[in-house]
Amino acid sequence: MIAPPHGLALIDGRIPFGSGNGLEGITLAVSRGERLVLVGPSGVGKTSVLRAMAGLGALASGQILVDGADVTFAPPDARGIVYMHQTPSLFPHLSVIDNVAFPLEVRGLSRATARGHARALLDRVQLSPLADRRPDSLSGGQRHRVALARALAARPAALLLDEPFSSLDPSLRAEVRQSVLDLLADRSGPAVVLVTHDVDEAAVLADRVAVLLDRRIAQMGSPTEVLGAPRSVAIARFLGLTNVMHGHRDHQGQIECPLGRLSVPGPAGPVDLVCRPGAVRARPWCDDDRGLTGVVTAVVERVSGRMVVVRMHDQDVLASSVDARVTVRTQVSLDVEPVAVHVFESAT
Amino acid sequence: MTARHRSWLTAALAIWALAPIALLLVRALVPSWRYPLLIPDSPALGVLWSADGRRLASAFGTSVALACLTGPVSAVLGFVIARGVARAGTSTRAFATAAALFPVIAPPIALGVGLQVVALQARVSGTLGGVWLAHLVPATGYLTLFAIGVLTAFDVSIEDEARTLGASRWQVLSRVTVPMLGPRLIEGIVLGGLVSWGQLAVSLVIGGGLVRTLPVELLALVRSGNDQHGALAALLLTLPPALALGVLQLGTRRTGAAL
Repeated sequence: MIAPPHGLALIDGRIPFGSGNGLEGITLAVSRGERLVLVGPSGVGKTSVLRAMAGLGALASGQILVDGADVTFAPPDARGIVYMHQTPSLFPHLSVIDNVAFPLEVRGLSRATARGHARALLDRVQLSPLADRRPDSLSGGQRHRVALARALAARPAALLLDEPFSSLDPSLRAEVRQSVLDLLADRSGPAVVLVTHDVDEAAVLADRVAVLLDRRIAQMGSPTEVLGAPRSVAIARFLGLTNVMHGHRDHQGQIECPLGRLSVPGPAGPVDLVCRPGAVRARPWCDDDRGLTGVVTAVVERVSGRMVVVRMHDQDVLASSVDARVTVRTQVSLDVEPVAVHVFESAT
Repeated sequence: MTARHRSWLTAALAIWALAPIALLLVRALVPSWRYPLLIPDSPALGVLWSADGRRLASAFGTSVALACLTGPVSAVLGFVIARGVARAGTSTRAFATAAALFPVIAPPIALGVGLQVVALQARVSGTLGGVWLAHLVPATGYLTLFAIGVLTAFDVSIEDEARTLGASRWQVLSRVTVPMLGPRLIEGIVLGGLVSWGQLAVSLVIGGGLVRTLPVELLALVRSGNDQHGALAALLLTLPPALALGVLQLGTRRTGAAL
């Protein structure tokens, strides 16, 4: 991977993490104005990657470049990288405007000039009327916006956002997410690396998505590439494609599986099939149905919709169903979107 | 508990706390109060201007000077040590906490004798500087334990974020850490001063009778049977802790911070 001349790059980073061997061969490159979202399950080491890039955590080996300059051994204040913690760490002893002016004042700007710039940034996040308030009097969403304005006041080459929305309740998330998108819309702005374990959030925010799994970057690409064509069963499962079935492919490329016979060319042998639950729909079985059938063993009510577990050919399939007649022990027919089914050569 | 019960309890606690001070005040200001007199003689302020009174004033000044020097220095040392401890591994932290606790729980006389060996070697025994250095030992122990408690609740991620915002280590310390810990630092300085203020055994052993702090003077007065001046000295000794408690309570009420 070639490091962008303007932006942030971590090249072949080995990052100690937890009690194990840590992360290895981590390479990320983000151009200015680009948003890379690093996704992965909780506890996989996403925060360690950000902290290593910011100079706050250990980097056993590798190189960090900012706008082409090597900052691997530079102190955190001389890297041009701002790290934002998941809970906004506003300075409680300073007013909102002084919080935003902080990065400018530590760079030697006079208080008046720094406050002038800070007020302009507060205008952008629509918080000017609260400029003289203390952080503890702000709501969660307002704190996030102040923290973001403060981060941008530092004019960083790169901005690292560590689970920026995880401490917000669902009703505030969308509002703050939109603020982030508005503020970072400028393509000449900083290179942004955002960490989350929420795949939907990644899809909304990312120009590119990197999946961190099993101590390495397992896949990287546009949201369409990664979400549409996961490279392994593990990635697919993490991305929410939780329907994992087993089948067998013959020499003609025909796969026999719980979803029936699918034609996907490839070498003969056992295969794993993965699809998201929404790609399979269950409806009440009727006499003239000749397709896939099974028996409902459980009904799961979710915010995203009603799901049912269907037992077919000794395997369970999670399917969506809006029909209230589909209940436990009823026989159902299944409709499958074949394009939503991903096939992988079985590891066993 | 009813409101009436609470009032009784508050009144009982107030009497419990103030009665000894009131008795000291009476004993310090009246020349005599002997059986069968029901009320003491009329108060006489001459006690303040007597030779013993002037000695007390000098000892009071020495104790104030020692407390004023010990408080800030032990607070700084305590916070610096606690900071190092907070960033150390678990075993180092346990060892450092025990090391800080030792001068606090060790019998003061044993601590004084131990420190005297060092003071003699350093040729500071019998000097004000020697007594001050000796006071720093228990005071820093207290302050380290106090600061470990304070720093455990301090979110260091705020300092990390300040660094990436462009602040140097010094700027983080002066613009973020110290202002944020300000009220706790003041409490620490007061605590360190009070630890020094009440030191008797250490002052006695290291001072060798040449450095007359208020507790040392109080002991001498009581041993010589001068109860009136002894009561005055005891009264003076209780004054700063009571004052500090009041000021800290006031600060707590104003800032909402816990005492």
